[in-house]
Amino acid sequence: MSELDYVGKRILRKDGPDKITGRAKYTMDMRLPGMLVGRILRSPCPHARILNIDTSRAEKLPGVKAVITANDTLGIKHAFVETPRYPPDQYALAANRVRYVGEEVAAVAAIDPYVAEEALHLIQVDYEEMPAVFDPIEAMRQDAPEIHPTHPKVKEPFKNIGGKTYSGWGDVETGFAQSDYMREDRFESHLRTHGYLETQVALASFEPAGKLNIWTSSQGPFIKREKLARTLGLPLSAVRVQMAYVGGAFGGKVDLYAHEFCAALLSMKAGLPVKIAATREEVFAAYRHGQPLIVEIKTGVKKDGTLLAQQIRVINNCGAYRGTGVVVIFLAWGFVMLPYRLPNLKYEGYAVYTNNPPRTAQRGHGAPQLRFALDSQLDMIAEELGMDPVEIRLKNARQPGEQLPNGDNVHNCGLVECIERAAEHTGFREKHLQNRSVGTTLDPLRRGIGIAVSSYHSGSLIYPNSSSAVVKMNDDGTLTLMTGAMDIGQGAETILSQIVAEEVQVPVDKIEVIAADTETTPVDIGSWISGNTYVTGNAAREAASVVRKKLLDLAAEELEASPEDLVLDNMRVYVAGSPGRALKYRDLFTASIRKRRGDPIIGEGHWRTMQDVPFHPSLATTKGRWSENYAFDAQVAEVEVNTETGMVRLVRAVTAHDCGFPINPLLVEGQIDGQISMALGHAFLEEVIMKDGRTLNPSWLDYHMPCIHNMAVSESIDVITETYDVGRSYRTKEVGEGLVSAILAAIANAIFNAIGVRLYSTPFTPEKILRGLGRIK
Amino acid sequence: MKKKQGRQLIELAVNGEAYELAEEPQVTLLEVLRNDLELTGTKESCGTGECGACTVLIDGEPVLSCLTLALDCRDLDILTIEGLAKGGDLTHVQEIFLERGAVQCGFCTPGVVLATTALLKATSRPTDYEIKKALEGHLCRCTGYNKIVEAIDKVLTDGYLVNE
Amino acid sequence: MHLPRFTYKKSDSLEETAQLLSRYDTGACLMAGGTELLPRMKYGLAMPEVLISMKRSPVSSPKIGSDGDLVLSPLMTLRAVEGSSLVRENAPLLSEAVGLVGSGEIRHMGTLGGNLCQETRCLYYNQSHSFQFKKPCFKRGGDICYSIPKGKECWAVFMGDIAPALYSLEAKVKIMSRDKTRIIPIEGLYRGDGKKPLILSPHEIIGEIFIPGSNGLRGSAFSKFSFRGGLEFAVLSVAAVLDMEDDGETCRSARITVGAVAAAPVRARCAEAGIEGKNISDRSLSEAVRQALDEIRPVPHHGQTSGFLKESLKVQIRHALSVAAGRVKKD
Ligand SMILES: Cc1cc2nc3c(=O)[nH]c(=O)nc-3n(C[C@H](O)[C@H](O)[C@H](O)COP(=O)(O)OP(=O)(O)OC[C@H]3O[C@@H](n4cnc5c(N)ncnc54)[C@H](O)[C@@H]3O)c2cc1C
Ligand code: SF4
Ligand code: FES
Ligand code: FES
Repeated sequence: MSELDYVGKRILRKDGPDKITGRAKYTMDMRLPGMLVGRILRSPCPHARILNIDTSRAEKLPGVKAVITANDTLGIKHAFVETPRYPPDQYALAANRVRYVGEEVAAVAAIDPYVAEEALHLIQVDYEEMPAVFDPIEAMRQDAPEIHPTHPKVKEPFKNIGGKTYSGWGDVETGFAQSDYMREDRFESHLRTHGYLETQVALASFEPAGKLNIWTSSQGPFIKREKLARTLGLPLSAVRVQMAYVGGAFGGKVDLYAHEFCAALLSMKAGLPVKIAATREEVFAAYRHGQPLIVEIKTGVKKDGTLLAQQIRVINNCGAYRGTGVVVIFLAWGFVMLPYRLPNLKYEGYAVYTNNPPRTAQRGHGAPQLRFALDSQLDMIAEELGMDPVEIRLKNARQPGEQLPNGDNVHNCGLVECIERAAEHTGFREKHLQNRSVGTTLDPLRRGIGIAVSSYHSGSLIYPNSSSAVVKMNDDGTLTLMTGAMDIGQGAETILSQIVAEEVQVPVDKIEVIAADTETTPVDIGSWISGNTYVTGNAAREAASVVRKKLLDLAAEELEASPEDLVLDNMRVYVAGSPGRALKYRDLFTASIRKRRGDPIIGEGHWRTMQDVPFHPSLATTKGRWSENYAFDAQVAEVEVNTETGMVRLVRAVTAHDCGFPINPLLVEGQIDGQISMALGHAFLEEVIMKDGRTLNPSWLDYHMPCIHNMAVSESIDVITETYDVGRSYRTKEVGEGLVSAILAAIANAIFNAIGVRLYSTPFTPEKILRGLGRIK
Repeated sequence: MKKKQGRQLIELAVNGEAYELAEEPQVTLLEVLRNDLELTGTKESCGTGECGACTVLIDGEPVLSCLTLALDCRDLDILTIEGLAKGGDLTHVQEIFLERGAVQCGFCTPGVVLATTALLKATSRPTDYEIKKALEGHLCRCTGYNKIVEAIDKVLTDGYLVNE
Repeated sequence: MHLPRFTYKKSDSLEETAQLLSRYDTGACLMAGGTELLPRMKYGLAMPEVLISMKRSPVSSPKIGSDGDLVLSPLMTLRAVEGSSLVRENAPLLSEAVGLVGSGEIRHMGTLGGNLCQETRCLYYNQSHSFQFKKPCFKRGGDICYSIPKGKECWAVFMGDIAPALYSLEAKVKIMSRDKTRIIPIEGLYRGDGKKPLILSPHEIIGEIFIPGSNGLRGSAFSKFSFRGGLEFAVLSVAAVLDMEDDGETCRSARITVGAVAAAPVRARCAEAGIEGKNISDRSLSEAVRQALDEIRPVPHHGQTSGFLKESLKVQIRHALSVAAGRVKKD
């Protein structure tokens, strides 16, 4: 690997100065002249027929500029997943029927929030309540109320099945028959929210000429544009989605939300800009959170710990519409098969409709729930076999170059090294033995250590499937990068700039980024499915290398040298060995205009993951290629359990991860810290408490997201498996969401190590600990 | 709905600028800053005192602007995040926050930076516990707080006093 | 989130506030720090027509009264209480409790009086009811309870941190209206009714708070149990005071108050009586804990089960008593 100047360096984030001084404008901060305030009327019923909506009194209220209901829409459905198997199942505004508390029924735009609020009170909706069901197991029963008919392709006698994924290979029965040891367990996870600090917000402005401009706090403008245009019946080109800074997203801002649709439609109707901002309470009580899964696992192993067969059933309480419910049951299969070799698998996942708000992607998108279950069970198996947790993992961990059952390859998978280094760094084996031998002491504090692994895909094929980027040189030799990617706090703009900087040798602060505007920037997959650094990064790299090549060719002419002998360095080119006779980029720019018929040195690049694969894999059968980059990690948790209060503290988290190579170690560390903190909240503190479809704790006060008292020491070890070489495509792997997963199981395993209590459900509350210890009957 | 109450005149100083405003009684300082003065660096993430994003300094003390009535701010000196860097020069706290990666999405940042600034002004050598007590009302989802604490530790080891 | 409309009045003294309150009758409300009232107003749980702001009112400093009581203004911010050395010397239990309220900003803004006069809390209550739980429960004037549906009453819990400390310090408060003032023991401030926790009439406010001095050996501790350790109300709290005989070993009098288990703080009187006259030892403390568990039945709240709350109560009382015992020192 050649010496790198920008890639791999701890370069400070480009947006830092804007953010630290308060200059950064978020969607929440945007205002337009004449802007109206929009508010949404929500269903108070978990399941009801809408008999009538009377908006006349609201419309007459002075200051009200527009009121909309389903009648004002084209009645076009949308969904996160829209495929022939899974056609869209949700209206942007409920028509005839509501299926969860908080579902959007009408919206108003008014001159101020007071009028808007009052207008909502004046809308009269007559509901006829219908029986509702909230628990997925109950919802599957034949006598359950029907929320939507079971998917026609699903033949089992279950009600309310929104989707099913089934997969497998080998023959589990044979595998079980050959096993020396088998066990069956059931794990449950709970409802958590993303915790983005900027609530959901959109500002729409419809121009009389027919153009809809919309700014929305999201994770990528292109998917929003597609869904907005279609549901509003506007040509794609008539919708322009732009970005402002985003105050966090974590998976929660991908799909189309009713407030975005309503802001647009209200603006079309009122002829004025409309902004709709959700309150924190609405985000908690009516927006989409992550997905609570039930995971049933039967596993068979050989005496030496080799996994032989696994049979898995996942039940996803997916809420009133499909949302990403059918994505999670697909991804869940992947989180099962990735890190450990598994000769026989039978997998079934069900997305079950219930009268809860729909769900969406959430950092890790099912991986934490699955890895918690799988790596907890693996520890139980190790315990039974008298193996240590590291040994059993090393025995089954994927090796470099292994082909996965779906045809993907793990390439330079660094999992074994991750496990070894994480264990070594923490003195795992000794501590693990020692903690167990503590026996009964008077000290109520017990230490425990646990390990688990996970793997995550980096970019796969979901609309719009690819990214492209444009790099153009400016007269003064600086660069402008145009990308559809969106910085949601993870540092995308900085990372892309580093790549461009490396290729063209223009310092990061001399690169201007224009980002995430459907009109002026090229298409991009968006800041989700963990594809940013890899897919968008390679697109930017390609674009930059075109610029690089143009510069070299031109300089070769000017300096009468061959391009191979030239050196690019800080916006200058010279022949190797004679930096004194350098050409400045700005002079080359002029030369290019002069000699190349006005070429201003523009480069364009594009990238698509798995360029030779036409479609995304089947959500039903998992058939088809999925990703060409898998990141791997092993995480170790050290906990301290207070056996009197039941409180557990994550004392230290060690992450050994194969992310390919870190483009910006400072940003990678930030991602890891944030994920450890989120996992810690998942493990101990956070739960959206719901009863009969209503949210009991819709506030930061009663939903306990970690505060500064709940910090864990977070250490990381980079296992470098790939390289970056100027002028060549690279393979780097995600670091933004895979690392919320293994740590969760590691914590559960550490708790067991400390006190011998095995937890089968998240969160690991003091009450569960005390029950496990027999302190509460 | 209750009738509109008349606006009342108030004078206050924000970031050293004097303003004269006419506000209705129910308007919060947060709304004045964001809507009237267009100082949108002060954020709202809850509006009910539970996140710290709306923190500003009044007479040097951290205050939640979402729970402060504008009419109670007559003649007060208010410092928002926009007023911290003088003439484009970042304060030491701001610089170190950037250098240490304590900023990600940035939505919590104005509140955290102001609370930190106030703490360091009041207590030149805060203990770990004091730092945590001062920041316990500030939620940050992105950083896990590690780099925030690291940054503050760095400011302290630099021996930097905010008063200087 | 925005506030509903109201008429704003500013008041510079408790007397002026009392005057204003009687003038405006039931529609008026005093605001001290606003950290409790304003969120409730934003959620639509309080809609005063007139808001009397005492935010900028002068506040008298803590002092020792002629009878040796520590006298505190209800308008003191929690931060000021926390920072007062007079309070720390004379009522360290109060300093400890105050330091554990909410967050730094809340302590800076919130006042003693506001803390004592806060509403009871319940998950079903502390939210706006624009689309959830629209049908009012008892506390909102309706005739159901979501939390304990079989019940005929409101089970909302008083979760303030300062009141339990003041119970154990045997504090008194002045209740004042335009025409009358009276001084009552702090226990008298609370009705024990989740629906309407305070005895105050709409015209009444609380004035000074009086904390009797201790003459002798004392150890005290405040133990607040919460999940996050900050920015959170107590799951339950225990305020313990042990007054000792001169020998330093025999307990002369004990006060154990538990917060966040009912609509008002609860004294563990049997447990107190159980240790009084005894040597403080592992055994006597365990016995006290056992008695406290017999007499206090925590109301399940905020998603916690009574089984868990009972066990936590045991641990926290034990903890508070041990710490208090360890802190006994000559004054
Ligand atoms: C995020 C958050 C966390 C919190 N955490 C805690 C906590 O951990 N522990 C805790 O105890 N509290 C907590 N609180 C509640 C509250 O902030 C504090 O109790 C604070 O002390 C209230 O004081 P205040 O002056 O702000 O009250 P205000 O909001 O001004 O008043 C509260 C109520 O008391 C009345 N009142 C005020 N003063 C008087 C008086 N002198 N006489 C009669 N009535 C009066 C008001 O009319 C109003 O009804 C929290 C609040 C928030 C927003
Ligand atoms: S306990 Fe009180 S506040 Fe809670 S639901 Fe019941 S009546 Fe309402
Ligand atoms: S917005 Fe003021 S504390 Fe959250
Ligand atoms: S940086 Fe995003 S919330 Fe703190």
